[in-house]
Amino acid sequence: MTGASVLDRILAAFVNSEFDEISLFVQQGVDEGLSPDAILDGALIPGIREVGEQFRRYEVYLPEMMMAADAWQEGMDLLEPLLAAQGQRGEARGKVILGSVMGDVHSLGKNIVGTMLQTAGFEVVDLGIDVPAVRFVEEAEKIGADIIALSALMTTTMPQQKDVVEYLEARGNRARYYVMVGGGPTNLEWAEQIGADGHGQTAADAVSLALTYMEGKI
Amino acid sequence: MISFTEVIDRAMTGPLMPEKEYDLKVFVPKLRQILKKYEIRHDPEVVVPSDDEFADRMFEAGVELYKEVGTYCIDTNRIIQFTEDEIREGLVTAPKAPMFGEGKDAKPYPSRRPESDIPPWCYVGAGGTPVSSEEVFEAFVQATGEIPFGDGVTAPSLANIDGATVRAGTPLEILACIKSTVLTREGLRRAGRPGMPVQNSIATAVSDAGKIAGSQFGMRPSDGWLIGALAEMKVSWERLNEVAYVTSLGGHVVAETCPMVGGYCGGPAGMAVANVAYHVQAILVFRGSYHLNFSIDMGTACSTSRQVIWGMSASAQAISRNSHFPLQISGLVASGPGTEMQPYEAAAPIIAHVVSGSSVGPTGGSPGNAVMDHITPMNGRWSAQIAHAVVGMKRDEANQIVKQLLTKYEDNLHSAPKGLKFWECYDMKTLKPFKEHEELYVAPRQDLESYGVKFTF
Repeated sequence: MTGASVLDRILAAFVNSEFDEISLFVQQGVDEGLSPDAILDGALIPGIREVGEQFRRYEVYLPEMMMAADAWQEGMDLLEPLLAAQGQRGEARGKVILGSVMGDVHSLGKNIVGTMLQTAGFEVVDLGIDVPAVRFVEEAEKIGADIIALSALMTTTMPQQKDVVEYLEARGNRARYYVMVGGGPTNLEWAEQIGADGHGQTAADAVSLALTYMEGKI
Repeated sequence: MISFTEVIDRAMTGPLMPEKEYDLKVFVPKLRQILKKYEIRHDPEVVVPSDDEFADRMFEAGVELYKEVGTYCIDTNRIIQFTEDEIREGLVTAPKAPMFGEGKDAKPYPSRRPESDIPPWCYVGAGGTPVSSEEVFEAFVQATGEIPFGDGVTAPSLANIDGATVRAGTPLEILACIKSTVLTREGLRRAGRPGMPVQNSIATAVSDAGKIAGSQFGMRPSDGWLIGALAEMKVSWERLNEVAYVTSLGGHVVAETCPMVGGYCGGPAGMAVANVAYHVQAILVFRGSYHLNFSIDMGTACSTSRQVIWGMSASAQAISRNSHFPLQISGLVASGPGTEMQPYEAAAPIIAHVVSGSSVGPTGGSPGNAVMDHITPMNGRWSAQIAHAVVGMKRDEANQIVKQLLTKYEDNLHSAPKGLKFWECYDMKTLKPFKEHEELYVAPRQDLESYGVKFTF
C-alpha cells in the first residue's frame, strides 16, 4: 500500500461512515513512515470536515457525528505523541468546559456542540447535564480551560448561566475564560445582559465563536 | 398490565451500561437493523403517506424496537426491559377513551384512525411558552378558553413571579408552580369554562417537587399532567416520581415524547419507528392516559419541515391503525405570531396529522415554544378550525394540500420571523385580536378553501 492510498482510505472511511477502520489506517500510515502532519492535514482534518458537511446536508446524522469524533480522537491519540516529539503540534486549539446547567436535563443539542467543537480541534470536557455553577468553574480551573460553554433549554434554568458568570466574578477570575451560552430560549441580548461573551444559536455558531475567541487569545 | 412497582424494580435491576453506550451501541444499531428488516424508508415525494400495509409494518417495527432497546434510566444507568408478551398486553389493556374535564366540559379523549370521522381533540394554548408576568399568563389562558372547539388547555410557563425571575430548583419554582395552577383555573373561570381540563400540568415546573407542590392548589384528577421522556428512549427518577404521584391520585398522565430527526433516530423513517416504540413506553413506563408526541427537526428546531411532517404522519397511521391508546401530535413552529408565514406553517401539520388518525395540539405559535410572550390565541383558533374542517378527508387529498402549503413556507424555516408579543396581537382589555392580526388569516383561509378545505366555522 502506498502512502497516498492510506490517506485516501482514511478519507473514504470518514465519507462512508466506516469509522472503526480509521485508527487502523492511521497506524498503517505511521508504520509506512508518513509524517503525522501529512496524516492530520491530508486525511483526518478533511475527513472530519466532510462528515460535518454531510451532517449539515442531513446525509448523515448525530450518531455518525459522534462516531466520527470518537474515530478522530483515536487517530489523534496515535498522532499526538509524534507531533509533540517533533515540536510541531499536539496541542488542542483550546480547551472547553461544556455542560447543561443545573436543573436542565436536555443533552442532545449540547452533545452536538461538543462533537463539533471536538472535530474543530478543541479539547472538550463535557460535564453532562444538571451541572451546578460551581462545578463549571472548578473544572475549568482544573484543566486550565479557555472557554466555558453553558447550555440551557428552559427559561427557568437560564439564570444558572448567569450564576456561572457571577461565580467567576466572585472568584476574581472572570477574565481568564470566555463564556458562551446557548439553548432554545437564549439569545444575544441575554448573553449581554448576564455578562457572557457570546451566544450561539446553533452548534455551528458555537464553533465559530470558539474559533474567534482563540484567534483573539493568540 | 405489568405493575408500576415492577417497572421501578427493573430500573434498579436491569442491564447496566454507560449512557453513551446505550445510545450508540444499543439504540442506534438496533433501530437501523429494524429499519432494514422491515424495509421502512422515507419517500421524499410524499408528505402524508396513505399505504396501510406500510403503516402496519411500521407498527411491528416499532414494537420490535421497543422490545430490543427498552427504556434507559439515566439515574441508575440501567435498561428497563419488557418481553413481547408484556408489550402486547400493555397495548391491549391501555386506556381507550379517558375522560377529561368537569361538568359540561367533560368528555372522552377520542381514539381515532386514519381518515376517521371522529373529530380530533384540540388541545390549545401556549404549549408551555414562557410569559413574563402573572397578568399576561391569566389573560392568555382566558383568551384560550374562549377558543371554539378548544377541548383542553395547554398553559404557559411563568418566568417571573412578583417581579422576581423564577429559577428552577429554588423556592421560586415552587411558588411559581402554585401560582400557575391558580392563574390557570382563574383564567378558565373567567372564560366561562371552569371545567375545561388543563393538560400540561405544570408547564412552569422543572422539578418533580414543583409539579407536585403546584398540583395541590387547584389541579383535579380530570386534568392531565404532562410528563416527558428524554430523547431517545430515556427516563429519569424525577419523571417517574411524578408518575407515582399522579397515578396514586387517579389523575391522567399525558405521556410526552420527542423523537428527533437528525438525532439518534437518524432520518424521518427512524424517527417514525422510534415514535411507535415511544407509544409503548408511554403505556408501560409512563402509565399514560394518552400519548402526546412532538417531534422536531434538529436542523430547524421545529416540527413543520417536510421530513418531520412525514415522520409524524407515518407513525400516527402506524399507531392509530394498531393501537386504541389515544395519540395527539403537537409541534413547534419556526415563525412567530403576527407573521404572514405562521398561518401556513401551522396549517400543514394539522391537516397531515388529523387525517393520519391523531388528535392535535396547536400551540400559541411561539417560535420553538421558547420566545417569551410571543404567543397568540389566534393560532389555536385557526388550527382548531382547520382540524375540524379536514375530519374525514382522504390522505391522498391531504397530501396534495400539505405539499402546496409547504411551498408557502419551507424555504424560510431557517430564517423565520419571530413575530409579535401577545399584547401586540390582542387588545389586553377586551382580549380580542386587533383587526390587522385577525386579517392575517383571511388570505390563508381563502387559499385553503381553494385547495379543497371546507371550513365549518
